[in-house]
Amino acid sequence: MKLELHDLTKRFGEFTAVDHIHMTMHNGVYGLLGVNGAGKTTFMRMLCTLLKPTSGSILCNGKDIFKMDGEYRKLLGYLPQEFGFYPEFTVQDYLLYIAALKGLRPAVAKKRVKELIPRVGLAKAANKKMKKLSGGMKRRAGIAQAMLNNPRILILDEPTAGLDPNERIRFRNLISELSEERLVLLSTHIVSDIEYIANEIWLMKDGKLMHKGTADEIINSMPEAVWECMVEKGMVSDFIKKYQISNMKSEPQGVLLRIISQKRPLPNAKRTKASLEDVFLYYFGEKAGDENAEI
Amino acid sequence: MIGIAAAKKLRAEKNEWAGYLTEDVFAEVIRENERINNLPEALSEDIQEQNKAYAKKQGISGIATLINHSYSAWRDYDYFAIDHISAEEAKQVYTKRISLLKGYLESGEERFTDAQKNFLIGRYESLKTPFYYEYTDGWEALLQNISTFILMLALVIGFLVSGIFSDEFQTKADSIFFSSKLGRNKAVVSKISAGFLITTVLYIVFIILYTVILLLTLGADGANCPIQFDLWRSAYNVTFFQAYLLIIVGGYVGTLFAALLSMIVSAASRSTATAIIVPFVILCAFPFLSRIITLPGICSFFPDQLLEIYLDIKEFDLVELGGKVMSVATVIIPSYMVVCIFLLPMLYHVYGRAEIK
Repeated sequence: MKLELHDLTKRFGEFTAVDHIHMTMHNGVYGLLGVNGAGKTTFMRMLCTLLKPTSGSILCNGKDIFKMDGEYRKLLGYLPQEFGFYPEFTVQDYLLYIAALKGLRPAVAKKRVKELIPRVGLAKAANKKMKKLSGGMKRRAGIAQAMLNNPRILILDEPTAGLDPNERIRFRNLISELSEERLVLLSTHIVSDIEYIANEIWLMKDGKLMHKGTADEIINSMPEAVWECMVEKGMVSDFIKKYQISNMKSEPQGVLLRIISQKRPLPNAKRTKASLEDVFLYYFGEKAGDENAEI
Repeated sequence: MIGIAAAKKLRAEKNEWAGYLTEDVFAEVIRENERINNLPEALSEDIQEQNKAYAKKQGISGIATLINHSYSAWRDYDYFAIDHISAEEAKQVYTKRISLLKGYLESGEERFTDAQKNFLIGRYESLKTPFYYEYTDGWEALLQNISTFILMLALVIGFLVSGIFSDEFQTKADSIFFSSKLGRNKAVVSKISAGFLITTVLYIVFIILYTVILLLTLGADGANCPIQFDLWRSAYNVTFFQAYLLIIVGGYVGTLFAALLSMIVSAASRSTATAIIVPFVILCAFPFLSRIITLPGICSFFPDQLLEIYLDIKEFDLVELGGKVMSVATVIIPSYMVVCIFLLPMLYHVYGRAEIK
């Protein structure tokens, strides 16, 4: 499976949501990391044929996906960020309905639904109405619908949004399990979601892909160092103004700061290994993405 | 006597006169009317007694109506005309109908072209006489009220189909729908088929129910009698059953048109609430528009007219196309059928190409 993006651009009026992205993807897990409003959802919607690019093209094994039409969507599984469903349907009926939309024959659809429901941990809720499910259960039903046609391309837009930590870990493991022999593109603004499961991470900002690589490559791409030092509580505000602080922890002796800086911020500061979260903060800043959250 | 029993009794009374209305039958009706008028009950000053005499006339009332129409002014109806004409004069009922029309057309009360005048006279002259008469009250009641029933049905159907294309947008299930293999082709066709099926099945089922209930209650006799028993001046040479078919076909096309427009608005606006309004605008607001704006030629082609075919059968609503004169119903029904056929690919296009922003 090969997806090629050539000069992919999407504009809404004067606003450029996706800006000249050029990329090739093969089987594996791709983590798309960016703040809200970076253009991740627009980018993914184009990959799902929900939006047409303003310019550029998307090729699947050399063919334009919009010309392939149903043949391309046959290969696709998609879990959108805003996961809509039919509230009166039971989980089982919902999955059977989506299976019909995906063109699965009734017998195959029943078999797939029977397989997937326990796999996503919804065996006890199979006959529950969708509107009665918890947020985590809905997301699991969402991943089940995306997997119904055993897709070669799996696109998951913010799949862990709104989940509690336990659910997030469970969901991450599930995605990791499902990612074999397919192309998985996973977008998130939560670093830990992709840190361990993505083969390649893309940093997206203002519609552009800023950096790509493995977690280590991305971390090493940061030109700054990360320091840890203990400071008095009264000095914290000065440090916040002067440096990028990736973490603060109150302790009896003062406040333990994690600072991103090229220079040693204090003589007693210890240099420490940078994490992906530090890189995220470095590239995107603390307040990035407050606007255009739906783009 | 009231209710179904009264309808049965009336039916029996009228059917005693069933048969072809020849000159002799008209003369016989005049004599029967005269006989009843001379009964002591009819001559009595007591209103109760007069009512008893009137009740005896119910058997001949259908035929008496024709005679009264023939001997009334064009836009008038003289309830007592039958009391003032002789049996010999009554034999002229059919020819009087034609001469009344000619007199009206020559009076200049309405503006008709020569072609339209010739069309109307031709229609009148070609009406097959003598009429076959039997009890027709069931069909008359059916035809007079079915337009209102069709309007209500069309509004309900419009309401039901208005959500078919907006539901996915409203529930935010659109992304999954349109990214599925069949989401932009077969599923769209299925939705269109569902809308078409809901419209057609509900329309047929409820029209049949309404018809059966009404005719079972009031009697189904008279299906093959000419519509002129109910609409004396009609230029349509059709039976009650044929008029009924024309009305329900027109109603179906109007309902389908409103439903399709509602579905297109539902697909384009992605809002069920907006789509629900469409049938109301088309079927309820247009009739008011046609009263406000003075463009009678155009108003006759408004889609609400499809639900008013009964009025078209009743009145002279004519249209001249390429020198050929036709009644409006025979033009708007096929025209809107063609429009409906064109709306289908438009609906497919609007929904199938939807983008999820």
